[in-house]
Amino acid sequence: MATGSDILKVTDLTHEVALGSGTLRILHNVNLSIGAGESVAIVGRSGSGKTTLLGLLAGLDTPTHGRIELDGQPISQMSEDERASLRARRVGFVFQSFQLLPALTALENVMLPLELAGQTDASDQATELLRRVGLGERLQHTPRQLSGGEQQRVAIARAFAAHPKILFADEPTGNLDNNTGQAVSDLLMALNREQGTTLVMVTHDEHLAARCGRQLHIEAGEVSENGVVPAQGVAV
Amino acid sequence: MAATQLARSNRDWRQRDVRVLVAALIVAVATVATIALYASHLERTLVTSASAFLAGDRQLERENGQPVPQAWRDEAERQGLATARMVEFSTMVFGGGNFQLVSVKAVSDSYPLRGQVEFQADTDAPRQMLSHGPGPGDVWLNPRLLRLLGLEIGGTVEVGNRDLKVTGLLIREPDAGFSMSALAPRIMMHADDVPATGVIQPGSRVEYVNLFAGADDALERFHAWLEPKLGPSDEWKSIQDGQALSDSLTKARRFLLLGGSLAVLLASVAVAVASRQYAMGQRDTVALLKTLGVPGRRISRLYRVRLLVWGMTGTLLGILLALPVFWGLASLTAGMLDRKMDYSVDVLSLWPALVTALVALFAFAYPPIQRLRRVPAMRVLRSQPGEAGRGVWMDVVIAVIAVFGLLWLYAGELWMVLALLGGLAALLGILALAGWLLVLGLRRVVGSGNAWRLALVGLYRHRRASLSQIAVFAMTLMLAATLILVRSSLLDDWQAQLPADAPNHFLINIGPEAVDEVRDFLGKHDLSTDELYPMVRGRLTEINGKPVREAVSKDREVRALNRELNLTWMQDLPSDNQIVKGNWFQPGQTEGLSIESELAQRLGVTLGDRLTFTIGSQTITEPVTSIRTVQWDSMKPNFYMVFPPGGALDGLPATWITSFYLGSSRKGILNDFTRRFPTISVLEIDHIIDRIREIVQQVTQAIEAILAMILAAAIVVMAAVVSATLQDRQREGALLRTLGGRQRLLVNSTMLEFALLGLFAGILGVLAGEVAVWALQYRMFEGAFHWHWRVVLLLPLVSAAVLAVFGRWQLNPVLRVSPMLLLRRLE
Repeated sequence: MATGSDILKVTDLTHEVALGSGTLRILHNVNLSIGAGESVAIVGRSGSGKTTLLGLLAGLDTPTHGRIELDGQPISQMSEDERASLRARRVGFVFQSFQLLPALTALENVMLPLELAGQTDASDQATELLRRVGLGERLQHTPRQLSGGEQQRVAIARAFAAHPKILFADEPTGNLDNNTGQAVSDLLMALNREQGTTLVMVTHDEHLAARCGRQLHIEAGEVSENGVVPAQGVAV
Repeated sequence: MAATQLARSNRDWRQRDVRVLVAALIVAVATVATIALYASHLERTLVTSASAFLAGDRQLERENGQPVPQAWRDEAERQGLATARMVEFSTMVFGGGNFQLVSVKAVSDSYPLRGQVEFQADTDAPRQMLSHGPGPGDVWLNPRLLRLLGLEIGGTVEVGNRDLKVTGLLIREPDAGFSMSALAPRIMMHADDVPATGVIQPGSRVEYVNLFAGADDALERFHAWLEPKLGPSDEWKSIQDGQALSDSLTKARRFLLLGGSLAVLLASVAVAVASRQYAMGQRDTVALLKTLGVPGRRISRLYRVRLLVWGMTGTLLGILLALPVFWGLASLTAGMLDRKMDYSVDVLSLWPALVTALVALFAFAYPPIQRLRRVPAMRVLRSQPGEAGRGVWMDVVIAVIAVFGLLWLYAGELWMVLALLGGLAALLGILALAGWLLVLGLRRVVGSGNAWRLALVGLYRHRRASLSQIAVFAMTLMLAATLILVRSSLLDDWQAQLPADAPNHFLINIGPEAVDEVRDFLGKHDLSTDELYPMVRGRLTEINGKPVREAVSKDREVRALNRELNLTWMQDLPSDNQIVKGNWFQPGQTEGLSIESELAQRLGVTLGDRLTFTIGSQTITEPVTSIRTVQWDSMKPNFYMVFPPGGALDGLPATWITSFYLGSSRKGILNDFTRRFPTISVLEIDHIIDRIREIVQQVTQAIEAILAMILAAAIVVMAAVVSATLQDRQREGALLRTLGGRQRLLVNSTMLEFALLGLFAGILGVLAGEVAVWALQYRMFEGAFHWHWRVVLLLPLVSAAVLAVFGRWQLNPVLRVSPMLLLRRLE
């Protein structure tokens, strides 16, 4: 379902890690593209390479072979600093384990990407976002003082703070109960629509995957659209 | 059951905080043990080496003309002490057809008990170091005396009724000292020959001296036995009583104590930081145990047992580590002292290390761990606000009481403890104020992609951690600064006390008619001389008209009363004397006298009191018009009593005295001098000065070594503190990178944040250090206090640089690995 305005384009992506005795191939010859404004779920069994793919797509790591273009920029060829700068401007993250800084308050956690982007009204923007996710009364609480659902809402506020073009979510409801998970995914979807963000999400949650416009299945390092492995070299 | 499983130490060992805690304890015990061992070793070495100045560990001097009773020597030998006898007197001797007044030293077989006699078999024979004096029937002469008498080696000298054979030259005796009575050239003979000379008659001026050497406790026991038997003319002397050297030794010992105390403090800080960190990390485990149904009491016991296991491990390893370090240091000093290396370890001197370990464990490590039992089980689900800070103040109070108790016990110097306490109190005061200002000032700073702003925001956001880190760093730096500052002023002091051209020769017995000629002679040979001082010998007999024996209470032992004092007059106050009360003589003033402050104190004399002296057949009485301090260790002529020119001493028979510096290459001048002024005595003390200098140098090196150790310990403490927040910092770094922070920004802001921490801690530490040094200087080292601008400016910069490097080092893993890997690793 690639369109002319692809925000993400992956060509011949292979990723291996060195082990003591040899190399382990985690992803094999992946080709895909994602259009702007799409919501895509990456599903698959544990250890199938979902999170690795997500990390590579987001430019958190570089692939062994292949090419990744994010918003027209070849991130697989960029230096770490160049990728960081691109992330700061275009990319947001939501993690399974929230990844909030324990020493900082909810407000300070949300302010972080805004400050990195050099915005001077970081505090006002962050306060507004936390209100939007229903935590207006918990600005000064540290992560340890918040429930899992609340922590993930802070993380979502942080992810949308810098108005990213594309948001990567790694099992965003994986650590939450059904009801809370539902509420968090509602929030994620709503913000995604409001801001017109592209959403790429790794999830086990079938309901959540079903709410996405597209599902990519990954198995043994190979990616298929709706469970069909495409012929090599053909974009799915 | 889970609890017992948990107590298994091998599982503990995998935890970073436990390793840090045990490492802190090892460093604590090792530092304290090394310093204690080394201090005791150094003291033994120095005292032995300094004992050579007495030719024994202790001297008993008798000035009443009566020999020391045999029973006393027997008792000493029963206590396991070695003894030797000496008799000193002046007499005329005849040899080579000439008469000469000599100062005789007659010694028994065992002389000297410490040190060696420098001897020459003939004028051109090599010099030898001997551990004995001349045998019966032999005599050794001072080389100048040999020339004065016109004798050869093998010749005969008549001492009273006894003929003695000259078998060698006495170059130097270990206990030459420098007493003013040793005016005439020296001969040394055997003590057993003295009765046969018939020189000593009832009423002769003779001094019987007994030497003792042995273990400290035996000496103490013997002294305790002897003390009640001593009369007013008996004097028990130890090396500590010798002025110039003892001052240096006392200061050195205090420095070692100070170093040891600082080690105790640093160690305590390290253990406290590590155990607090450990306790914080254990809260989840405790909450879990409670959820599993383990009662609080059992949890407490569990942690006590573990603490004990780590305590014993740390102590044992610490001592094992201390031994090789101690031997290393000791071999360093052995090299300097030209002595055989002494590997023996004074086990008793290990107690401070053991007590430190115990106190560190139970006063610093235990309180936060003990509080773990109060962690609510609810924490498993959610932590409660305010949980983290509870009970910290109580910990601080316990810690402060414990550490100062420990210091007092260890150093036994209340002033030292109070000075350090004062410095710390000042530090905490400034810190509280500074922390408040920090929070106030930084609250408004907004981060905006700029390293400076991010660094300041970081300081504010981590304000709790920042403040406690600043507190620990500042304390560590304060201790280091104190030691650095005390060290430099101590060394400066010694340097000033013994400059390269310190006077090393005295001229005594200069008659009034020779004063100008001597001055000319010295001037012609370019010998920089101090003033020539007149000297009149007189005895203090009355204070305010009352006989001095009645005026001064019996329990005060005032040696100056037992002998004649050297009285002098002068117009100008010597540059190293200081008036503490009253006024120095005005020009033209002829009334009054100036007394040395310590003697005044011992006599209970103050301004306006009238002192009466008997000089020959005359008496003079003058009021005290000033009290002054004297630098006894200056190696210049010093006087208890000074009169104004034209005052009470005017017209009384006087001789003059002076001192000057003469390099060893120009010793030949002395021969010219003695030929020209045969009646003037030359006292050579250059070898004493060399010895003192040598000892000061050894002590200096020891001090440097201990300073280096303390600084190393300080760096370990700082590293422990920094690494306590390692994981948080790395997580933050990883997240910042994920969120798009560039490496350079991350590196710059982190280094800046740490540099600011270091700068701030450095300024606080050095200021608090100055406070402590001021107090120490004032009471213990008796030097004048002055600001140490170089250290004050340098230390904060150095600490900023060191911490910036620490910060950069922490960031390393964050920069090397992809953010994805790092986040996974830290999850």
